[in-house]
Amino acid sequence: MRTKAHVPYLFLTPAIVLFAVFTVYPIVYSFLLSFQTSVGGEMAFAGLANYRRLAGDDIFLKALANTFILLAVQVPVMLTLALVLASLLHSVQRGRGFFRVSFFMPAVTSLVAYSIVFSILLAGDGVINQLLQALGLKGVPWLSHPVWAKVALMLAMTWRWTGYNMIIYLAAMQNIPEHLYEAASLDGAGKIRQFFSVTIPQLKPIILFTAILSTIGTLQLFDEPYTLTKGGPSDATLTIGMYLYQTGFRYFDFGYASTLAYVIVVLIAGLSFIQFRLTGRE
Amino acid sequence: MSKVWKLAVLLLALSLVLAACGGGGDNAQGATSTGSSQNGSSSSSPSSDGKDAVELTAWAWNVNVGALNEAIAMYQKDHPHVSLKVEDIGRLDVYDKLSTGLAAGGAGLPDIVLVEDDRIHGYLDAFPNGFANLSELGFDEYAHLFPDFKKGLTSLDGVFYAFPFDSGPTGMFYRRDLFEQAGVDPEAIETWDDFFAAAQDIKKATGAYAFPADKFKDDANFRMMMNQLGVYYFDENGNIDFNNPKVVQALSMLKKFGDADLVKDVNGWDGTVSATIDGSVATIPFGAWYYGTIIDQAKDTEGKWGVFLLPAFEKGGNRAANLGGSSWMIPASSKNKEEAYKFMLYFSTTPEVQIMAMEKYGLFPSLSTAYDSPLFESEVPFFGGQKIWQLFTDEMPDIPTPYYTKDYAIAMDEAVKAQADIFNGRDPAEALAEAAERLAGRTGREVNRY
Repeated sequence: MRTKAHVPYLFLTPAIVLFAVFTVYPIVYSFLLSFQTSVGGEMAFAGLANYRRLAGDDIFLKALANTFILLAVQVPVMLTLALVLASLLHSVQRGRGFFRVSFFMPAVTSLVAYSIVFSILLAGDGVINQLLQALGLKGVPWLSHPVWAKVALMLAMTWRWTGYNMIIYLAAMQNIPEHLYEAASLDGAGKIRQFFSVTIPQLKPIILFTAILSTIGTLQLFDEPYTLTKGGPSDATLTIGMYLYQTGFRYFDFGYASTLAYVIVVLIAGLSFIQFRLTGRE
Repeated sequence: MSKVWKLAVLLLALSLVLAACGGGGDNAQGATSTGSSQNGSSSSSPSSDGKDAVELTAWAWNVNVGALNEAIAMYQKDHPHVSLKVEDIGRLDVYDKLSTGLAAGGAGLPDIVLVEDDRIHGYLDAFPNGFANLSELGFDEYAHLFPDFKKGLTSLDGVFYAFPFDSGPTGMFYRRDLFEQAGVDPEAIETWDDFFAAAQDIKKATGAYAFPADKFKDDANFRMMMNQLGVYYFDENGNIDFNNPKVVQALSMLKKFGDADLVKDVNGWDGTVSATIDGSVATIPFGAWYYGTIIDQAKDTEGKWGVFLLPAFEKGGNRAANLGGSSWMIPASSKNKEEAYKFMLYFSTTPEVQIMAMEKYGLFPSLSTAYDSPLFESEVPFFGGQKIWQLFTDEMPDIPTPYYTKDYAIAMDEAVKAQADIFNGRDPAEALAEAAERLAGRTGREVNRY
């Protein structure tokens, strides 16, 4: 009995319809919106005006700079930490499950919930500052100083996402053939040398994968700054994602908000391409 | 073959149903229905007054829901055919749903929606055809019942789009016990400088800060001070007024308190409420509506509270200002515009309704005829027997009109940044001048130079 050629498509119909309605349509529509502006409540075609506005928009440039600072500092730190943790856990014999669950736990908490907890911990008179003061140190203006607010944001993101990347590395490490390590130790390489000369080269595609995921995540970053700092103080933690939200839903400038959305798309595509090129793989 | 097509249609239908559920599923959440239980009529059949039954829907949050539900019960005595379903939705969620609904041409919107005064003009500008024109429906003849500043907030170019509801005449809610402990007499405080000296004594004696501020995210204190001085983000021509010496004066006063470590930095609304409860601040400058929160959240402190007007900037200067307050709007997409208008007119212009809303929910009315009630001369035990409602009522006529514009939300964003800058050490005039330039870039408005 042969299946008729069109039958598989029938089974795909629900998924395709949902995808078309909720994903394709918004993507196409927001692309059109990005060339429009509101004139007296009606959307009117405005050509490239929204894209020209980007260049002179200081707040957009600041949001862009903030996002790239977060990207340049937080992502490498987090991935390095995840890699180190993964290789430590990989060699641990007892209580593996316990450690894995502990490190992975943050990744299952809700973005908003953990951000609120951090905002309470890091508040001016929060637990962390009380602890610092009890130790005789000065309290840190975690959420109110332009530099410290970025640090607070990075701390929160690192806490949330390190375990997630670690699990990915851990899974990949289990696929590295044991004989490579054997050969390395016969050649006299110690644990650290093995880490750099066997583990990391073997994990290269996975590291690339997590780097791209983290880059995309950071470029779209919204929940953490929204809950922790509202983008403040004075836009010091404003991300492009937040600026997009404010533009669209607080100032109702849907056209320009769509333009910002497409800037994020272009940035993600560009950065992912560069990362592929740098690591030299197809 | 036909079997296959049947299957295809079925699957398609299923996916559409699923899609519809995803879109409208949460509409029913949190719906509290007050109903036709009073007259016992079902919603589809004509009711006892001979008119077809109408079910209105409304979106509101917090205490406003209760006020609306009680009001419809009062209304139903004479209009049994009208019932109301109030959906209790969080304040910001109302705005999100309203924005998306308006952007979708009015799909899924209720007949009545609560909007805070400072947001009205932003909505009207973004969606000029989004809301019912109340002047056309006859609201103009009732306009004189409301104070000028409230009229300015609910109308645009002389046309009313919102029913004025509560107002927020401001006051300093203060802790009597802390003031007594420090030997400070609140009656003697006339100016902000007086208050500055008193606040230092209070901090020394009790450790309590002068007042709370969400230093880096909200500028409520700044807005009150500006309104008091008769200035705001914009002047009456819509020009950016950040460089006005009075605006600089207001921000400098905040900085003076901040530099002397008299301002407690709090995180949002919750932080303000915690500071209110734990006594870490001696005063909370806010709108009259904060009464409801104090009596609700700080029950243990009954009798320890009092109110005095905002201190003036110079002896004999204006001490009246407004903060917050909201109004009701009817989306243009409503199919029951006439009925919604009649009910909201009743709600807004009937003193009994407004008095009920204040007595039970602490929502201070804007309706001038409501102030004749004896309630406004009563002594409030929670506030040590002070006649606080009289104080707020007397303040109402002196409140200067703030010039909100469609760009209010953007202006506030820049003002908050300027405030964050001064608490981080910047000079107020410089911080404001920079904010003014940024605001000009974002809105295309002129900046006033002085």
